[in-house]
Amino acid sequence: MRLNLIYQYSLEAVKKYSETELVLLLKQRDQTAYSYLYDNYSGALLSVIYNIVSEVELANDVLQEVFIKIWRQIESYDDAKGRLFTWMLNISRNASIDTVRSKGYQNSQQNQELTDAKHEAAGSTQMAVDQIGLRKVVHQLRDEYRMIVELAYFQGYTQDEISKMLNIPLGTVKTRLRNALIQLRTVIKE
Amino acid sequence: MIIEEYISSGIIESYVLGLADAQEVAELEQLKSTHPEIQAAIDSFEASLETVALSNAIAPAADTKEKLFLALQDEFTNTTSTEKTVATDAQEAKVVPMQLKPIPAKSAKMFQYVAAASIILFVVSAGLNVYFFSKYKSAAEQVVALLNQKNALYTDNQTMQAKYLELNSSLQLMSDTNIIKVAMKGIPGKEGNLATVFWDNKTKDVYLLPNKLPKAPEGKQYQLWALVNGNQ
Repeated sequence: MRLNLIYQYSLEAVKKYSETELVLLLKQRDQTAYSYLYDNYSGALLSVIYNIVSEVELANDVLQEVFIKIWRQIESYDDAKGRLFTWMLNISRNASIDTVRSKGYQNSQQNQELTDAKHEAAGSTQMAVDQIGLRKVVHQLRDEYRMIVELAYFQGYTQDEISKMLNIPLGTVKTRLRNALIQLRTVIKE
Repeated sequence: MIIEEYISSGIIESYVLGLADAQEVAELEQLKSTHPEIQAAIDSFEASLETVALSNAIAPAADTKEKLFLALQDEFTNTTSTEKTVATDAQEAKVVPMQLKPIPAKSAKMFQYVAAASIILFVVSAGLNVYFFSKYKSAAEQVVALLNQKNALYTDNQTMQAKYLELNSSLQLMSDTNIIKVAMKGIPGKEGNLATVFWDNKTKDVYLLPNKLPKAPEGKQYQLWALVNGNQ
């Protein structure tokens, strides 16, 4: 049984699907296609999650939750509205923000700050997080831009909420966010 | 509005990342329908996002996939679709049947477990039926026996009560101060016989107690004769 499963995985690594094929098969509840999706995208999505949820174990839990959502909500994916990856990225980002905002996570973060050893560990994790994916790029932005991107992208606040939180006009928030994103794009494209 | 400026304003990135507000989204979607270059810019940014994310991929924990597939075990259904849509060349057609095997094997095993469990349940319930039926039968028998006993006791009790009432009335009679008790012994030759007359001198009622009298012969009965004021 287990051998069969391993064999199955190794075959999938060889196989390639186009995005259209993959979406079609997923909508038909095809396990093989789903396994392929996981093998090819779990790492990328985990990096997105890890950018927001900075604990490895918890990030893996969120990843599992995200893949369950992908499986159950694939019917609602509409390729006219964007790439499959973008859709999955937004699911990942929302799930991560929900996790970070949950009481349990807040408490665990507070508890960590109580002990020095834990605090150091958290600090080193934080550094690692800054060195991958979007965080790494955002890290290179000017402070005023970084703050806006941090609140908007990583913490999920709306532009209106940010305007009220930072006590700056909505128009300024919009401009800074847009400018930050333009910089992001140039860094990404390099 | 110059569309190139609009595209490079950061709105595309904001839209794709889900950071744009409702007004910005509405504006972009309206412009998109008339300006294909907006769609092209969106596609391009989405593609580069995917590329960056893929190149930054972090390997998930080894057991995450296993846990995930375990959680979704019951939701995977037809893998037959693989055969129809993907098996376009001979190489893949070969692959499909092998992948199909584990799934029916899994469900067959599942079915075996369910069948075994239901047989066990059936045997247990049949056994319990026999056990409970015999219990029920003996209980029913006991109830009948107890009912009979109860009826017998009730009858006995009625008889005793009747006897008690009779004795009680006799006792009251005997203890009444108006009653004169006359014991009548047998005439010579029948000394063993004894009858007692109770006479209530107020109501003038007479009671006869045949203490020791032989049984009256068939068709005959005892009579009490008295002389009242010298008359018979």
